[in-house]
Amino acid sequence: MILTPLDELLLFSGATLLVALILGRGLAAGWMVTILYGGQLLTLIKMAALGYSDTIIHASINFEIMGQSLSWRFDALSWFFALITVASALLSSWFSCGEWERSFKQHGGNIWLYHSAMALNVFTMLILLASGDLLSLFIGWELVSWAGFLLMAMAGGVATRAAMRYITYAMAGGMAVFGGIALVYVAAGSLQYEAILTAVDQMSTTQLWMLVVMFGSGFGIKMGLLPFHLWQAPAYAETPGPGSAFLGAISSRMGLFAILLVLVKLFGIVNIDSLKIPFTLIDARDLLAWIAVFTIILPTFTAMKQNDARHLLAWHGIGQGGYMLLGVVVADAMGGAGGLLHVFNHATYQAALFMAVTAVIHRTGTSDLNKLGGLVVRMPLSFVVLLVGIIGLAGLPPMNGFVSKWLVYRSLLNEGMPLLFLAAVIGTLGTILSVYKLIHNIFLGQLRIEHEQVKEAPWSMMVPMLILAAIIFITGLFPGIPLAWVASVQEVIGLPVTDYTLGGVESVSGSLDMIWVIGVLFAGFGIGAVIFYSAGRSKRVHQLDNYAGGHFLSADVRYQYSDNFYAGLMHLIGGWYRGSFLWLEKSVTSLVDFISLVMQGLYRRANAEFYLLSTALFVIAWVVI
Amino acid sequence: MSSINQIPVIEAKRGNPLSKVFDELVRFCRSRSLFILHYCTGCGAIELPPAMTSRFDMERLGIQPMVSPRQADILLITGYVSIKTLKRVILTYEQMGSPKYVIGICSCTVNGGMYWQSYATAKKLDEYMPVDLYIAGCMPRPEAVIAGLQQLMNRIQSGEANSWEDYFRNYDYYLGNQQKLFGDNWQTPTDIITEAKHYNLMGEGTFGEHTRLLEQHQKPLEALDMRLGHNLKEPTE
Amino acid sequence: MAPMELILELTLMPLIAFLVGMMMVLMMRRIAAKIQRRVGPPLLQPLYDIVKLHSKRTQISHGLIHDIGIIMAMGGYIAAETLLPVPGMNGIAEKGGIITLLYLMMIPSLGLALGVGQCANPNGSIGIARALTAMLAYDIPLVIVIFGVAYAAGTTNLVDIIAQQQAGGFAAWGAVEMPLLAIAGLIAMHASLGKQPFEIYIAPAEIATGPMVEMSGKYLGGLFVMQCFQLYTTSVLYVSLFLGGGTTWFDFLLKSFLVLAIPVSIAYLFPRYRTEDLLRLMWKWPVMLGLIGVAFVL
Repeated sequence: MILTPLDELLLFSGATLLVALILGRGLAAGWMVTILYGGQLLTLIKMAALGYSDTIIHASINFEIMGQSLSWRFDALSWFFALITVASALLSSWFSCGEWERSFKQHGGNIWLYHSAMALNVFTMLILLASGDLLSLFIGWELVSWAGFLLMAMAGGVATRAAMRYITYAMAGGMAVFGGIALVYVAAGSLQYEAILTAVDQMSTTQLWMLVVMFGSGFGIKMGLLPFHLWQAPAYAETPGPGSAFLGAISSRMGLFAILLVLVKLFGIVNIDSLKIPFTLIDARDLLAWIAVFTIILPTFTAMKQNDARHLLAWHGIGQGGYMLLGVVVADAMGGAGGLLHVFNHATYQAALFMAVTAVIHRTGTSDLNKLGGLVVRMPLSFVVLLVGIIGLAGLPPMNGFVSKWLVYRSLLNEGMPLLFLAAVIGTLGTILSVYKLIHNIFLGQLRIEHEQVKEAPWSMMVPMLILAAIIFITGLFPGIPLAWVASVQEVIGLPVTDYTLGGVESVSGSLDMIWVIGVLFAGFGIGAVIFYSAGRSKRVHQLDNYAGGHFLSADVRYQYSDNFYAGLMHLIGGWYRGSFLWLEKSVTSLVDFISLVMQGLYRRANAEFYLLSTALFVIAWVVI
Repeated sequence: MSSINQIPVIEAKRGNPLSKVFDELVRFCRSRSLFILHYCTGCGAIELPPAMTSRFDMERLGIQPMVSPRQADILLITGYVSIKTLKRVILTYEQMGSPKYVIGICSCTVNGGMYWQSYATAKKLDEYMPVDLYIAGCMPRPEAVIAGLQQLMNRIQSGEANSWEDYFRNYDYYLGNQQKLFGDNWQTPTDIITEAKHYNLMGEGTFGEHTRLLEQHQKPLEALDMRLGHNLKEPTE
Repeated sequence: MAPMELILELTLMPLIAFLVGMMMVLMMRRIAAKIQRRVGPPLLQPLYDIVKLHSKRTQISHGLIHDIGIIMAMGGYIAAETLLPVPGMNGIAEKGGIITLLYLMMIPSLGLALGVGQCANPNGSIGIARALTAMLAYDIPLVIVIFGVAYAAGTTNLVDIIAQQQAGGFAAWGAVEMPLLAIAGLIAMHASLGKQPFEIYIAPAEIATGPMVEMSGKYLGGLFVMQCFQLYTTSVLYVSLFLGGGTTWFDFLLKSFLVLAIPVSIAYLFPRYRTEDLLRLMWKWPVMLGLIGVAFVL
């Protein structure tokens, strides 16, 4: 039997899992696993033709269960997501090798569990991405959910509670997806994509609505779409460092993958567009767009209030998911490209940011934004990585986040959607505010006495971070590289394809050429530097040689502004944070609690007559009604 | 040291006529753009608002008020300086960027004025920092303030107003007077000695017995250099 | 376009922006003086200030990021000028468009924010926190306005937007076609200049000029240069969006100076708002006007 590249990839991934399971306690387990991830990446690169054309690679394994055939295959969409998955796994695993691993063990962490959970996550994600029909999609979906739970729960304590919350949501989502699949089966009589594609046209509006709601909420839970976003930030933030980098980069994008596959590719944006909500002017697509927009704004402004660097980033991860969905839902050439490109861009900078924060935790032992400061002189390279990452996250030139957000803005502009456009920009502005708080409170300002002897992160952590920073910059300079993959993904899922160039996008209504923009920007910096350095010399002074209205500063008194960073803003909007979603979650939880108490009470009675009576009453009521 | 004219004026090293024109231009610009930091002690401060606002308008001479010592060129001390205040005045002066000029307004800065018998007042300002110009009076009117500022402008333009170099070149003298008043532990967060070294402004009087005394108890003031940790010991767990 | 010609344009555009910007600083200070019944500074005062600040003998730096921040603050604007068409010169305006320009204009502020951050002075950090809050306040009406103009023109290319207005004559000017957007844009522009009553982040009496508190010598000089660019960019952008750009240098400069004179004349009549009042004002009136204006455009 000849192995197709997809077989090789899955085998490689399974082998990685096995090695992690068997040798995970060994000395160089991290390095071995990392090398195997490298092998997976190579196999993926062997399939690179997928990223540039409309071909499909099948796996050799097929099943037939209860008349349902299960198959696995890769197309451009799967390849694009798999590339991000494997690359982020490779880099975060590399990051975890060596010194981080040792200190993790010293602090009582189970490194075997960590490596195995990571390998399991990658393996299950690849299975999900390769799914060739709805049943294998569902199997992959459940596997990914449980693998994610393993990684999130391993830190214990707060993390386990967050992971329990996650798995509750994920199970609910899984149920919704399963219900959707059952409905599809009833309507189409098969779970093969081709059969569904033909069946969708005959579906009634009610059926389509049910499906959109079920699949949308099921997959949306994984993506952290409002109102199902509460689980995500604590779960990702409390995962051990490199794990959170991996999860933050790609894990919740599995939800977007499934949405692209089912809602966009199978159902088609046009069909969703035709679903009107009675008595209002909006349709299901507008609804999705507005959900996306609120997913951008609310988590972003929640992130602004976080005082823990990891939580701040995790909340942003939710918010950025909104841009992806927004771009895809707008579904013109630019919007689709923007949304998909943002998946790639977000993975690069989110992983870099989580890694930089983990490096800071590794050296200082805290990620509390009120207990850090001034670290730029001690960890300059981590500062550079974090800076590159936040410029990407905030979507400013010259980093890659700008390109994808620009595409989303342009599509909203072209389609004439001012409110969505405005909301997307508000999200960006909120991001700028909160990432400045992040970099200021960690790296700028006053260096604390206890951090004077801090060292830069070890090279085993630094190299993957620098690689990511380089990717962020290079794909910002040449967005054409990922846009080529994005274009074939657009083709596969049936969206219009963008007219891209190496430096950006060509369009009659205004194009973008990042090579020129960045070139001019750096030329400007060069001129600025010439002016600056041709003026007189300056002398570096100690941080305590500082203006304090004539006061003599000393090292034992902090001279730093970090807490309640946007006090003036919070004076106005502070009251708008009502925790409504928390309230909603709590009321659902207590409702379930109450029902279970009632049921418990009923069962405890063990009173035969009572059961008989209630059954009889129920039957009578049934008959009467 | 108080007599500023005795300090030898060092001629510009460059003989290039073009650079002379350039120096001339720079001096002209310096004299036409003066940012003032008011150190408003005592009663003289009340004469400054009229000097700045519509009646006398200092801005037509290019003189503007500034807020922090980093931005300012002129330190304007407007009255008696108590010992506690003097510490802050010295810190403020040391934080200013050179070329910087000190102007003492009112008699109190000249000789203590009516506070001559006070135990808590520094009498002569120029014992603690080089003063470019005194505007005597109790209090001088805005006209006098502006006339004084114009005189300073002329001195800047002609290159005479370089008393700030005196603070670097004769730091030991000023430090000695400061230590006499504040005690031997006296230290500001600024570091004049390394600054003098950095800008090549060392003179014969930069070092002396007082600076040695300072160096004995001085807390380290080196800037926190950017580093990767290669020169550090392993942190103790 | 010939490469030499392009290079010439790319050099000339920032240079002109700087010179015009200095004159705008002078105009601003003169207007302030006239309103306060003063004489005001002499003709070359902005130049004297910048030369003086760059010729300081000693100045302090709080570290490399402090230096880089100033370089970014100047360099970002120098780059942004090449995306802003002026009569006879388009530079690389067609490669970026208005959204890129808007985001490129945030680079100097970001650089400044980094530089100020390393100064380890809470006054500066508070200043930056307030400046970012102010940005959140005025950018919301500003993007509504930009959306309206770009949608009405059907392009984000500034060159096309200007050409459309000039082709239609006075009646096609943005300010005539979209008066509500023009008013909202003017208010947002006023706030983006950071002048009274919106100067919450300078606030000399409160946070000691905020971001500028630790800036000495050439550092402050860099910020003075940045201010020249900022005034120029803001007013020229407004002229390009609403007043038909310029066909000749004369009417171009006339419009730019007149546009800038409006907020500046208002500024010196008012004291300072608090942060939340600025937010409330910006999120209410210009946003409302802008949205109504956009509704007309759609």
